[in-house]
Amino acid sequence: MKRIITILLLGVTGYFVADAVFSIPFGVDKLNIAKEYLLNSPEELKVANTVTAVVVNFRGFDTLGEVTVLFLAATGLGSILFRRRKYHTGLNPQREAPQASRIVQVGGKLLFPLILLLGAYVFIHGHLTPGGGFQGGVIIATGYLLLLVSFRKFAVKHSSLTWVEAVAGVTFAGIGLTGLVFGKDFLENFLPTGVLNSLLSGGIVGIIYVAVGFKVASELTGILDTMLSIKVEVDEENEEN
Amino acid sequence: MTEELMQQILKISFYGASLALILIGLYGVLTKKNLIKILLSMAIAESGLNLLFVAIGYIMNGTAPIFSTAVLDENNQLLETVTMVDPIPQALVLTAIVIGLGVTAVGLALVIRLYKHHNTINIDEIRNLKW
Amino acid sequence: MVADPILYVALPLLTAFLLPIIGKINKELIRIVPGLLFAFLVYNSIALFSKVSATHTPIIVEIAGWAPPIGINLVYSSFTGFIATIISVLALLVWAYSYKFKKLEFDNSLKYFVLLMLVTAGSIGVILTGDLFNQFVFLEIVALSSYPLVAFYRGRNGAEASFKYLLVGGFASLSILLGIVLIYSQLGTLNMADIAAHIDEMPRNIKIVSFTLLFLGFAIEAEMFPLNGWAPDTYSQAPGPIGAVFAGMTAKAGIYALIRMIYTIFDFSGAFEILLIMGVITLVVSEGIALRQENLKRMLAYSSLGQMGLLMIAFGINTKTAVIAGMLILFNHAVIKSLLFLSSSFLVYNSKDKLIKDAYGMGKKLPLTAILFGIGAFAIVGLPPFSGFWGKLYLLMASADANLLGLIALILAVSVIEIVYYFRVVNGVYFKKSKTEIEVHKPRWNASLAMIILAAAIIVVGIYPNIIYDYLVNAADTLLDKASYISHVLPNLASN
Repeated sequence: MKRIITILLLGVTGYFVADAVFSIPFGVDKLNIAKEYLLNSPEELKVANTVTAVVVNFRGFDTLGEVTVLFLAATGLGSILFRRRKYHTGLNPQREAPQASRIVQVGGKLLFPLILLLGAYVFIHGHLTPGGGFQGGVIIATGYLLLLVSFRKFAVKHSSLTWVEAVAGVTFAGIGLTGLVFGKDFLENFLPTGVLNSLLSGGIVGIIYVAVGFKVASELTGILDTMLSIKVEVDEENEEN
Repeated sequence: MTEELMQQILKISFYGASLALILIGLYGVLTKKNLIKILLSMAIAESGLNLLFVAIGYIMNGTAPIFSTAVLDENNQLLETVTMVDPIPQALVLTAIVIGLGVTAVGLALVIRLYKHHNTINIDEIRNLKW
Repeated sequence: MVADPILYVALPLLTAFLLPIIGKINKELIRIVPGLLFAFLVYNSIALFSKVSATHTPIIVEIAGWAPPIGINLVYSSFTGFIATIISVLALLVWAYSYKFKKLEFDNSLKYFVLLMLVTAGSIGVILTGDLFNQFVFLEIVALSSYPLVAFYRGRNGAEASFKYLLVGGFASLSILLGIVLIYSQLGTLNMADIAAHIDEMPRNIKIVSFTLLFLGFAIEAEMFPLNGWAPDTYSQAPGPIGAVFAGMTAKAGIYALIRMIYTIFDFSGAFEILLIMGVITLVVSEGIALRQENLKRMLAYSSLGQMGLLMIAFGINTKTAVIAGMLILFNHAVIKSLLFLSSSFLVYNSKDKLIKDAYGMGKKLPLTAILFGIGAFAIVGLPPFSGFWGKLYLLMASADANLLGLIALILAVSVIEIVYYFRVVNGVYFKKSKTEIEVHKPRWNASLAMIILAAAIIVVGIYPNIIYDYLVNAADTLLDKASYISHVLPNLASN
């Protein structure tokens, strides 16, 4: 019965939304603000990848918020899952399952540096080629995930994660604020923009995206490590406020 | 003629697929009993939405909005034959994906907590979640 | 010293990123640095707000050097600035209240203050931003910092309330995002002023669907009935001071988004009636449920939902008097409800179930807290000489002007209900004996100071409402003048 009501409800909602969606023309040029972006990205900023220019510069404020969301997810995860430091040793008490096979271990060791390299390449070239800080950061985090699954005793050092996280985040916000010091807007470019399609182009865009890459990589690695080494103390009833 | 036909086929498949994903996700959120399945359904609905957004930004025969040397002439001007798709939806979808990831991660952490307390992830057996 | 609207968002984020490192230097700094930050935000508010009030022109901040609609912009007007000021003052008081909070250890207090800073930055961001998608991002920051705060204590109910909130919040963000996608597909822009200027170019069916989706999403954040089932749980499960944060900040961010959408972005005149009707339903249902609550915090939470209903009514009437009434109620709700949450937290500090009868007899054991709670209770009901009185008076005047006589009767009837259940608590606190022996926890001087400042604000505004009245008139004018909002953000629109 509940199912039928749900389907009816979704059917009605779906009808109205579909009616609206299908009246949107597909594949035609309906650019408005985007035209300015496509014009200014190569001309003013000398950033070849317009998506990167939008993410880091035109709508960089969104991205600062986005990085904050990731930071919040990592902080929130820690706050939800852990109570006291001493319970968290980095080793997972539940991971007593047998070790991964030799092939996985050797393969993991072999692939790990290559994955790091690929991730770093992706975020360093974020303003030139598809990809960027988020994608590169995720790639690096998968490298750590590979190590976490292949080696039961592998643990990420949390203090170094904290440092990377903080330095990367402060770099992003700090570069933004530096613009104010130079009498420009928050997140406005204050460096020479260089030549289109060269590595050192785009002014602050490249630097910010590298910082984002480090930030995303460390936050995601932290999230994965937290999830894999859970130990919740069920000592609640007397702890409720 | 074939161009227009192609456009119609693409329109129906992209819009239809993304709407279907959104509805499937919502159906899962409303009917599933397993907390993890509920979170996954929400992620499915989100990806449907992201697909819809990217599809809206598409322009027929458009390329990725990247001014690489392949699409520029010697004076760094865009070749006239090249159309670029809308970069804004792509950038916004990136943001939306990251936000979805954050919500899913926090949701999973809460599921872990709930499992520790109740030894179940069935929503019916967790008292206060019914309303 | 510099004052810039951008610092409202940039500095808390910077500090939040830095705080884990600062904690490695000295653990005490974890508590001190957020306080310095909030103090700076208050200074920032005073500097900017006095500037805006003197010049009557909003401050438009461009970000990344691109003028709107290309770049994202912040709008600091008399209206947004007023709410931002309330939020930053409240954040400072909540910080003072939770400084050396008993249950905060090192690791916990780091996370607590990081979340507190980010929920503040997010709420102010929602209010200041002039870009629809950016508003969505800030709403998500608010939501994602609220979930861990609700589940901050280890209790099982915290995780449940938080999960419930997460599901509803996830639905809200889907709905908002789909609404934004539909608007973008038609207008190709995300700037609110730009959308508002071109809203009549949208096909009617898409406009209605996107309006409905955005309304649904923002209504969830604004705790509108029937989308507020999650709210009482979150209020009652979160740590004491966070109840004040939810009432004073996150709910304000939600209602602001709703108001901005209805007043500025869309041009549906029927939207005001919908807001009015939903407000009436929210008010009646919430106050009715509040009457039956045995749990003190849940009672306060339902009463808070009732106040949100009053806010929706005020903004739904859509006249100048009504908007002024709305601003007054918004101020009152933020200040009085915070005082009630903060003081009630001590009345039932060591009680497990937070029942109203656990607070019986606290009038003798905690005289100061009990008096402060009493002031809050009398003020929220709308008795003179407290500030709550003026909010209700103006709302009644606005309803009379609009010829909504039924509404007058309804508001008065609801006030009677409020009097009944608040007096039950106050009566119990002073004149009933506690049956169980619950250990009393005395507030520290910093917590008392935070509560006394709130109570003083209630009394001062209650006796001399003129000290904020002019600001409210300015704010109301700013909100109602859609054309000047558009022309300030987009000065070149007419020439193009």
